[in-house]
Amino acid sequence: MSTETSGPDITSRPSGRAARERMYRYVLLLCASLSILVTLSIVVLLARDAITFFGLVNPADYFLNTEFLLSRGEFGLLPLLSGTLLVTVISAVIALPTGVAAAVYLSEYASERMRSILKPGLEILSGIPTVVYGIFALVYVTPFLQTIGLPVNTFNIFSASIMVGIMIIPMVSSLSEDAMSAVPDSLRQAGYGMGATKFEVTTGVVIPAAASGIFSSFILALSRAIGETMIVVVAAGSRARMLNLSEPLQNLWQGFQPMTAAMVQINSADSVSQLGFSSMFAIGLTLFVITFLLNLASNRIAARYREEYE
Amino acid sequence: MATTDQSGRWHGEDSEVNHLRGRAFEATCLAATALGLVSVLILLLFVANDAFRPFSADIGWIATYAVTVLVPLAALTVFYYRLDDPAGEVAYVTSGLPVVGLLLTGGFVVLFTELLTVLEWFALVLSLAAAVGVIVAHGRYRSGVALERLAVLVLAPLVAVLGAPPVEFNYFVTDTAAALGLDVGLYYRVISLREAIMMLPFVPTDWMMLLATLVLPVAGLGGWFVGNRRESRRDGWTAVGLTTVTALAGLVAGPLVGVGVEGWLLLVTFVVLPIGIYVEGVVRRDEGRAGLVFPVVAVLGVFVGSLLVGALGFAGPEPWLDWGFLTSAHSRTPTDAGIYPAMVGSVMMIIVIVLSTFPVGVGAAIYLEEYAPSSGWMGKFVTLVEINIGNLAGVPSVVYGLLGLALFIRILEWPQGSVIVAGLAVGLLILPIIIISAQEAIRSVPDSFRQASYGMGATRWQTIRQVVLPEALPGILTGTILALGRAIGETAPLLMIGAAASVRLAPNGFFDVASMMPRQIFSWSSELDPAFRHGVLAAGVITLLAVLLVMNGTAIVIRNRYQRQE
Repeated sequence: MSTETSGPDITSRPSGRAARERMYRYVLLLCASLSILVTLSIVVLLARDAITFFGLVNPADYFLNTEFLLSRGEFGLLPLLSGTLLVTVISAVIALPTGVAAAVYLSEYASERMRSILKPGLEILSGIPTVVYGIFALVYVTPFLQTIGLPVNTFNIFSASIMVGIMIIPMVSSLSEDAMSAVPDSLRQAGYGMGATKFEVTTGVVIPAAASGIFSSFILALSRAIGETMIVVVAAGSRARMLNLSEPLQNLWQGFQPMTAAMVQINSADSVSQLGFSSMFAIGLTLFVITFLLNLASNRIAARYREEYE
Repeated sequence: MATTDQSGRWHGEDSEVNHLRGRAFEATCLAATALGLVSVLILLLFVANDAFRPFSADIGWIATYAVTVLVPLAALTVFYYRLDDPAGEVAYVTSGLPVVGLLLTGGFVVLFTELLTVLEWFALVLSLAAAVGVIVAHGRYRSGVALERLAVLVLAPLVAVLGAPPVEFNYFVTDTAAALGLDVGLYYRVISLREAIMMLPFVPTDWMMLLATLVLPVAGLGGWFVGNRRESRRDGWTAVGLTTVTALAGLVAGPLVGVGVEGWLLLVTFVVLPIGIYVEGVVRRDEGRAGLVFPVVAVLGVFVGSLLVGALGFAGPEPWLDWGFLTSAHSRTPTDAGIYPAMVGSVMMIIVIVLSTFPVGVGAAIYLEEYAPSSGWMGKFVTLVEINIGNLAGVPSVVYGLLGLALFIRILEWPQGSVIVAGLAVGLLILPIIIISAQEAIRSVPDSFRQASYGMGATRWQTIRQVVLPEALPGILTGTILALGRAIGETAPLLMIGAAASVRLAPNGFFDVASMMPRQIFSWSSELDPAFRHGVLAAGVITLLAVLLVMNGTAIVIRNRYQRQE
C-alpha cells in the first residue's frame, strides 16, 4: 500500500534493532538465572558427597550418635548440634531484647541527630569481619571474664556467644525498626487520642502492630548465629561435646564445637580419611537446610506484615 | 473537673500519667542501642593500644603531639559540630580523600611491582582501547546486524589481547593431539596486538607509558567532570592541562622528593587530582569552606610536633603496626612479621571479584527491575529468582566455601588456595548482596525519566544505558563498595578453599597460591606467644579494620551526596 511505503523511515532497520534488544534481554536474563544455578549447585554438590557419606554411615548413626571424633571414625551430629544450640541461645538472649530496644529507641524516641549517629554506628557493628570478633573474644573477653572470677576455660562457648550476640544486634534492630516504621501513624495518633502516654503507645500499640516483622528479624538473626563460623572457630575451641544437662551452668565455661567449626576443623586437618572428608559435606548440607528453612520462614513472615500495612 | 470523675475513665488515668516510667523506658532503650557500640569501641581501644603502644613513648612525646595535633583538631571538631555543620563534612572528605587516594596509589604500586611491568600494562591498555575503538566504530557504521555485532563484541577484545587463536587454545589442541599420538604442531598463530606492542624494537620509558595510559585518561575523566559541572568545555581542558603539567613537574620533583617519577605520576593521578576537583567545588559553592582548614591543621600539627620532639629529644613509641609490618612477609620472629603478601592477595582477590561478580550482579538487577515480566510462567520464574536471591544472602559463608571447594577445586581442578578460586568463591557469596543493593538503586530512579526517554523514541536498552544506569550509578557503587568490604573480611570461605596460612612471597598470578589478610590474621590468632597474640595480631586487625573503614567511609560519602540530590 502506498501510504505505508511513502512515509519517512524513522525506525532504521527495525529487525536488526529488535534482534539486538533481544540479545541484551537474554544476556541479562542469563545473569539473573545464575542465582538459581548457584543454589542448585550448592544443593547438588553438597548432596553428592553427603550421599557417599550416608552410603557408608547409617543416617540414624549420624543423627543419634553422641560422639564426634574424627580419629575414631565417630560422626555423631548431636555434639555439634549442642554447640550450635548453645551459641544460638546465648547470643539470642543478648541480641534479641537489645535489638528490639534499640529499634524502639531509633524509631520512636531518637532525634534526627541521634539517629544520624547511631544508625551508621550500628551498621559498622555488622561490617566488622567476624574473625575480628573471634579475636576480641579469645584475646580480650575471655581473659576479662577470668579476671572478674568466672571459671571460664581459655576456649569457651560463653565469650564466643557474647560476640555472636553483639554481631547480630544490628540485624535485629534494623529489621525491627523497618517494621516499626511501617506501622501507620494513624494507629499512634489513635493511641494518643485515647490519652495514652508515649510509653503506652510504644509498648501497647507499636510493638504489637510490628510483631510479625520483629519476629521475622528474630528468625533471621538466629539463622545468622547458627551459620556463624569464624567467631566459634577462633574462640570456642575444637572439642565437640554433648550438653551437660545435669549442671547446665557448667556448659557455659567450656569449649564446644558447633557444626560450622567442625567443618573448618575437618578441612584443615592434616590427614583426614575419605569418610571424614565427606562427613564435612553431610554437616554442610544439614547446616544449609536448617538456615535455608529459617530464612524462608523469615521471608514469609516479613512478607505478611508488609501486606498488612502497605 | 467534672469530666474526670468515675463516669469517664480514660486510659492511663490510674497511673496519673507516669513520667518516670516513660523516662526509664527511653533510657533503657538508649542504653541498649549504645550497648553493642560501646563494648566494641572499648575492645577496639584495647586492640589499638596493643597495635600502637602509645604508652611506650616518653610522656613528653605524648604531651607534645597532644598539644600540637589533638587539641587543635578536637577544637575544630567541636566548632564544626556546634556552629558550621557543612564544614564538618568538608573536613571529613578532605581528610578522607588523601587516604583513599593513597590506598589506590598503593594498589597500583603493588600491581606494578608484583603483577605487571609498566610495559605490559601499557600494551594491555592500548590493545583494549583499540578493541573498544573497533566495537564503537562497528556500532556506528554497521548498525542493526545483531549476530555480527555479537561476534565483534566477543572477538575484538579476544584478538586484541590474546591473539588468534589464543595461546591457551593452541596448547589445548596440541596437548590433546599429543595425547592421541598425533603431532599437529599448531605453533603458528596471529599474535595479538598486545604482544605486538610488547615486541616493538623501541619502547618509551616507563613514565611516558604511565602518562599516556594512566594519567591522561584519568585526567580526561576529571576534565570531563569539571567541564560538565561548570558547563564550560574550556574549564575542563584547563583541568586536564593543569593535571598534565603537575604530572610532568614530577620529572624533576619526583626524584627530589624521593618517590621517583612513576610514584609522582600515580600520586598526582589519585591524590592531587581528586583533591583539586573537590576543593575547587567547595570554594566555588562557598559552603563549609572552614572545613578545608582541618587537614591543613593536621599536617602542620604533625610537622611542628615532629620538630619539637626532635629538638627536645623525646623518644617515640615502638608500635607493632609500622611501615615494616606493612611491607614485610610473615616470619617466625614477631618483630619481623608483616602482612604484605597477604595484602597483595586481598587486592588480587578483590580484582577477581570486581571483574566477575560486579557485571553479573548489576546485569541480574537490571533484568529483575527493568525487564522481568510479572505474569505468566516467566513471571513465576522471576518470583522464584527473587526469593532465591533473598535466601542466598542468608546462606552461611562457610557453605560458600564448601561450594568453592567442591566446584572449583575438586571438579574443575584449579589449584587449591589460589587467588582465582578464593575470588570466585567469595564473589558468589557477595553476589546476592550486590544484586539486592543494585535493585534498590535502580528502583529509586523515577519512572518519569524512563517515560521521557521512551517518548523520545529510545529503545528499552538505550533507556537503561543512557538514563537509568547513570542515575542509579551512585547507589550501585555504594552497595558494591559495602559488599566488597564484606568480601575483604570474609575468612571462612578462604579456610575451606585452602588459602595458605601464610606465604613468604606475594602471588604473581591469579592461579598462584595466596594468603589473604583475614586468613593471615587467623593464623596469627593461633600463635601462643604473647608477642604475637597482643602485638602482631593486633596490628593485623587494625590494618584490616583501617582498610574497611576507608571503604565504608567512601561508600557513606557517596550515599550522602546522592541522597541530598534527590
